[in-house]
Amino acid sequence: MRRIYSLLAGMLLVMSQFAYAQQKTITGKVTDAKDGSDLPGVTVQVKGTAVGTATGINGTYTVTLPKGANTLVFSFIGYASQEITVTNQSTVNISMSTGNKDLSEVVVVGYGTQTKRDITGSVAKVSSHEIENFPAPSFESAIQGKAAGVVIESGSGKVGQGLKVRIRGTSSISASSQPLYVIDGLPIQTASQSDVNNEITNPVADLNPNDIESIEVLKDASATAIYGARGANGVVLVTTKKGRAGQKTVLSLDMNTSWGKPTKKRHFLNAKQYVDLIEEAAVNDGKIDFANGDTGYDTEADAIADYKSYYEGLLDNYALGTDWSKQAVDVNWEDQLYRKVAHGNQVNLSASGGNEKTRFFASGFYNDQDAVVIVNRFKRYGGRLNLEHSATDKLSLGLNLSITRSELNRVSDDNSYSTPGQIVAQIPISPLIDPETGKLNKRTLYANGLVDAALNSDVQTTFRSLGNAYASYNFLPWLSFRSEFGADIMSFYQEGFVGKDATDGGGIGKGQNFSTQAVSFNTNNYFTISPVLGGKHKLTATLGMSYLQNDTKSNSIQAEGYPSDAVKNLSGATNVTFGSSTNDRYDFLSYFLRANYSFNDKYLLGASVRTDGSSRFGPNNRWGTFPAVSAGWVISQEDFLKSQQTLSFLKLRASYGFTGNAEIGEYQYLSLYNISNYPGLPGFVPSQLANPDLHWEKTKQFDVGLEFGLFKGRLSGEVDYYDKKTSDLLLAVNIPSTTGYSFITQNLGKLSNKGVELTLNSINFDGPFRWTTSFNIAYNKNRITDIQGQIIEAGQQRAVEGEAIGAFFLQKYLGVDPATGDALYEDKDGKPTTSYNQAVRKVVGNSNPDFTGGFNNTFSYKGFDLSAFFTFVQGNEIYNRAGVYQSASFGGSLDNQTTEVLARWQKPGDITNVPRVSLSYPTGQRASSRWIYDGSYIRLKTVTLGYNIPKSVMAALKISSARVYVSGYNLWTKADYISDPEVSTAPLGGTSETSQNIVGGTDFYTIPQARQILVGLNVKF
Amino acid sequence: MKLTRYISISLLTGALLLTGAACNKKLDVVPGQSITPDQIQTAADVKAVLFGAYNSMQHFNAFGERYPLIADLLGSAGQTAFVGTFVDYRDVYNKAMVSSNSIASGIWGRAYIIISSANTVLAKADLLDENERDAITAEARFIRGVTYFELVNFFALPYSAGNQTVNEAVPLILDPVEVYDASKDIKPRAKVAEVYAQILSDLTEAADKMPATNPNGRATKYSALAFLSRVYLAQQKYTEAATAANEVITKSGLSLTATFDKAFNNISNSSEDVFAIQQNNQSNAGTSNNGLTTMYAAYSLEPSGRGDVTVAPTYLDLYEDGDDRKAFVYEGDGIAGNQGSTYTGKWTLFYKAIPVVRLSEMYLTRAEANARSGGAQVGANTPLQDVNFVRARANATALATVTADQVVQERFRELAFEGDWLWTKKRLKMNVGTKVYTDNFLVLPVPQRERDVNKQLTQNPGYDQ
Repeated sequence: MRRIYSLLAGMLLVMSQFAYAQQKTITGKVTDAKDGSDLPGVTVQVKGTAVGTATGINGTYTVTLPKGANTLVFSFIGYASQEITVTNQSTVNISMSTGNKDLSEVVVVGYGTQTKRDITGSVAKVSSHEIENFPAPSFESAIQGKAAGVVIESGSGKVGQGLKVRIRGTSSISASSQPLYVIDGLPIQTASQSDVNNEITNPVADLNPNDIESIEVLKDASATAIYGARGANGVVLVTTKKGRAGQKTVLSLDMNTSWGKPTKKRHFLNAKQYVDLIEEAAVNDGKIDFANGDTGYDTEADAIADYKSYYEGLLDNYALGTDWSKQAVDVNWEDQLYRKVAHGNQVNLSASGGNEKTRFFASGFYNDQDAVVIVNRFKRYGGRLNLEHSATDKLSLGLNLSITRSELNRVSDDNSYSTPGQIVAQIPISPLIDPETGKLNKRTLYANGLVDAALNSDVQTTFRSLGNAYASYNFLPWLSFRSEFGADIMSFYQEGFVGKDATDGGGIGKGQNFSTQAVSFNTNNYFTISPVLGGKHKLTATLGMSYLQNDTKSNSIQAEGYPSDAVKNLSGATNVTFGSSTNDRYDFLSYFLRANYSFNDKYLLGASVRTDGSSRFGPNNRWGTFPAVSAGWVISQEDFLKSQQTLSFLKLRASYGFTGNAEIGEYQYLSLYNISNYPGLPGFVPSQLANPDLHWEKTKQFDVGLEFGLFKGRLSGEVDYYDKKTSDLLLAVNIPSTTGYSFITQNLGKLSNKGVELTLNSINFDGPFRWTTSFNIAYNKNRITDIQGQIIEAGQQRAVEGEAIGAFFLQKYLGVDPATGDALYEDKDGKPTTSYNQAVRKVVGNSNPDFTGGFNNTFSYKGFDLSAFFTFVQGNEIYNRAGVYQSASFGGSLDNQTTEVLARWQKPGDITNVPRVSLSYPTGQRASSRWIYDGSYIRLKTVTLGYNIPKSVMAALKISSARVYVSGYNLWTKADYISDPEVSTAPLGGTSETSQNIVGGTDFYTIPQARQILVGLNVKF
Repeated sequence: MKLTRYISISLLTGALLLTGAACNKKLDVVPGQSITPDQIQTAADVKAVLFGAYNSMQHFNAFGERYPLIADLLGSAGQTAFVGTFVDYRDVYNKAMVSSNSIASGIWGRAYIIISSANTVLAKADLLDENERDAITAEARFIRGVTYFELVNFFALPYSAGNQTVNEAVPLILDPVEVYDASKDIKPRAKVAEVYAQILSDLTEAADKMPATNPNGRATKYSALAFLSRVYLAQQKYTEAATAANEVITKSGLSLTATFDKAFNNISNSSEDVFAIQQNNQSNAGTSNNGLTTMYAAYSLEPSGRGDVTVAPTYLDLYEDGDDRKAFVYEGDGIAGNQGSTYTGKWTLFYKAIPVVRLSEMYLTRAEANARSGGAQVGANTPLQDVNFVRARANATALATVTADQVVQERFRELAFEGDWLWTKKRLKMNVGTKVYTDNFLVLPVPQRERDVNKQLTQNPGYDQ
């Protein structure tokens, strides 16, 4: 391949020597429509070529129009772009305005750009100012609620964690449903490289949000089919900032600092409440024992006295000599797991500028964010250089390069005893400090997570380099060729240490070291053809190929036996217990073609096709072809609408097409044996059963949308209906374990996502006081239409036919028998039963919301600006999986309980939903619908107040602009749930794609989100 | 010039396609850390599959933890206690399992992985060298027979309950599955009698053809005979049981360790291990959440276990003072917060061999079987001599007389916490606490997951149907 490329590069060089005759020079001036002032730095581009310039300080420009080209495109950030067709004139003066920018706004699509007005697909755009300074570790968090149909679950208040991102619903069961991320044309790696024993992390967080110019979310088939086999889950295109010609170099410094606390605590019993309930449990249990004759007590009083003395003995055990009956110790353990204040600091410095030959954008950033939970902290720094050089008017070259180092201090996953989140289970009469040793109490009900927090460490360090170099050559005004070479190089290093005296330290200390190098190499090579057809015809076509190769090499070592906690790396250990190295590769080879045709700017047609081959399938089923067609009708261009003023824009569009999914990991079509290690006897163990027929999962999607603008664009919006059907699901199908295997991957089953999306933008007031509103709402209905009776489950959730994926499948809780205080469940005949074994499991809820959306208002007056952004989610349920321990009326264990238990049954006749408290005869403590809550919420996600310091002051300080701002995040929430409603613990039993798709809205001692206040300053020189 | 341009463009287009063609081959990617079945080509490869089965037997869902531990928790009526926090174990200990119990599904699933490995070895026997084919296939049959014996014990009513041709056990799978075919691979539970017949066939063949010694702690002819003695005991075929045990005692060359404590926590097989699972620091049944040592060793030890399974002080009343086995306990704390509990000394160190059958069991089996058979005595020793031989090693006083039931008491003393109690009680129809030996909750549920994918599987009585 290298040989072919040197040939290619050579040819490009040769081509650049040619020049064309019959050029024409155009000059002009660009002014601001608002006040007529000169506009410097406006990009003036000859359409369909690399020829372009920018306006100078006084707004003037000169550009040479090559033969055959006749359209100039004026664009400037924050202003509506304009296209001017040049006929005979040699001077083109224009004025640019901020209004109605919607239609001519440039939108990035796969392998090219289009204007918003010409687009026939469904694309949501989020621009830089909506992302900047958001105090979340990763930029996707900032999209939440901004793009209709994009649902982002951040899951927990831990920083550096993986996010669940769904565009138009979950479209697979066992293959990944995360979208494809493409940064400046380079598809990046998004799979977590984290140690498999912890929750997944998010490699997308390595991108500095302040470098982003815009994010385009491709939603329908006509937009995503150009990414073929990788497009079924939607595509997120990220474009980073670029320098502009003719602009003086702008230096921008942004600094902010934030303070955070958890949004909501669960609230557990205090010492008095706890002791009272334990005493009550002794009474309850004594009565039951006596009534049953289990132990053979003479009187009920004897039984109760005996239980009391037994339970009080247990309390003595944990009180460590303190007088629990007088609540001498009353520890609020829940408070112990949070930092007093979670600090965050961000500094971002960038420079951009350039001239007609060379443009640049350079930036450096530092970001340090504490989680609300102790230990957890995410620190990043890095830099970026984006360079663009016009070598000739035919050839342009460029480079986008970023390097980031991130360091994540982690806590263990929600399911481990040592994680801070589980500290809440400790009982309030347990002292924090052991009176005997004067150190952190280790004689607690469960191993004390605070000890682990103090002794253990788990740090993962990532070096990430994203580089994409490109050359673009214009053979003819209507024909150009672009070649891109990119690499995403991720070097990941994780060091874990468990101290000798920590819960899992085994008294000897344990360490592990895990490192991975994951390298994705990608090349895109394509022609863009935009022939001048004359008259009212416009055609643009793209034809090319793409090849992606990903190599992941990793090694892992575990060791134990440390002389002390002083040396924490493996050189301090004496006994290596595990060592391994692995090596995996996958590749995709693709060819693609797209054509867009418009007639009279009124009738739009688009078609694309992509063929993909992947190493993930066997030789017979390797290739898949994914076509899409689309059409649009700009109704407002029709004569019958031209006469009126109200409706300024109206476009109807529809699309239909196919996309694929192959995100199932490697070698799924093969039978495999793994290597086994038995002392002295290396061997093979069967690990996977083949399916040579495995092939692409296919999604066909129909979309119809209406875009409109009213009152000269003061009110604009779009509404979309889609019907997305996935078939040949790549399914991890359970098979009887008697085969020696537990599942095989098959193409089996169908699911669908149908929905409606509505986006509205309005300028309510314009002028010195400006008020704008944007609103979006999306409804999605996910249905598993056919899985042929397969049972696919993870935790308490399932894929059930006729239901949305992730249905909670549990015994149905019917409340409490008023006579006995026993829990009641629904049996197979629909009747109440106290026997859990007689209760049947059924669908009792779902974690998928019906409606999601956001609502934003911004106000500006003179130097002040204020924005308030709400997000909402409606119609989903949350299952508190920790309820079986923390709200179970003790349910047989001493765990501290949430204050929900105070409503327990106490005496015959009590009507309540909380059964009697019990340690020895627990009831209602098992997994059931008892812990299902409504997950709907609306929250004030962001509120920002900013002040631009007046220009007069600025001039004196010799800076061009300065803004101070204060923001609040998650300041207000309305929800029913007992903790933060944005919750989703990592699935039990690992990180498989099936569990990632099925599990959602489950809470297991999960850390709530942060409520933050942020103060910042932005200065431009 | 124009021509050059078009040539260039055509060349570029051609280059794109060529690039594609070059990349096309790259789509063939070979797994980096696994092999495919077609790579099993030599005798060594087949033996590697056999050794893989040993690795599976070491798993915590097999001999590495659950075969012995779950039998003891289920068989416990006060002599051990589960004090840990894992709900599924607590349910087993309380005899209150539900059909989704992960221990039941774990034991079931791992057993069939072991069986699948053994079946693969048998199916690929023609790749083995002639001179070792019988021995290797016999070893595979040993592994399969032993695993079915554990399965039938856990998931079916005991043989002693009668109705063996009616009572359901587990599906009998005797061929490896190469391509999944629901019409063939969904099988109902075989009857207890059918499973026993298969076990006897496998173990008899193994006892016949396996070598007397085998390196690396692999099973031998005597391992097979020892398991045969267990199977015969379960069937109350006492003469056969005594004969098998006698063969082991007289011919294996094994001998009791000098002192009782020397029989445990050894780097490799002790002199009395008829069969043991090997472990080392890189190959073991688990050190933090699983494995016998993890569960049994106190949290206060260094290296520490979880200390989840304690010994009830009353259990020690079984022994007379001066019996080394009575003193083979220690005081410690558990990770669940219990302090000053009593723990057994049998499972205190990680990375050590796990005795599955010790020679002392063979003496006790021979003694009991001789005492019960009513026929001619098998072997040179009387039951009293056998029992006293075992007692002497533990410095317990010699008994003057012994009945079969007293041999059983000795068995309880000698084999405590090694997973023997439950099966002994069941075969002799003894109660477990207040529960009769056929109680529903002394049998594990057929895993819900299996019943969900295999509608032919019936559930054991007492569990949700």
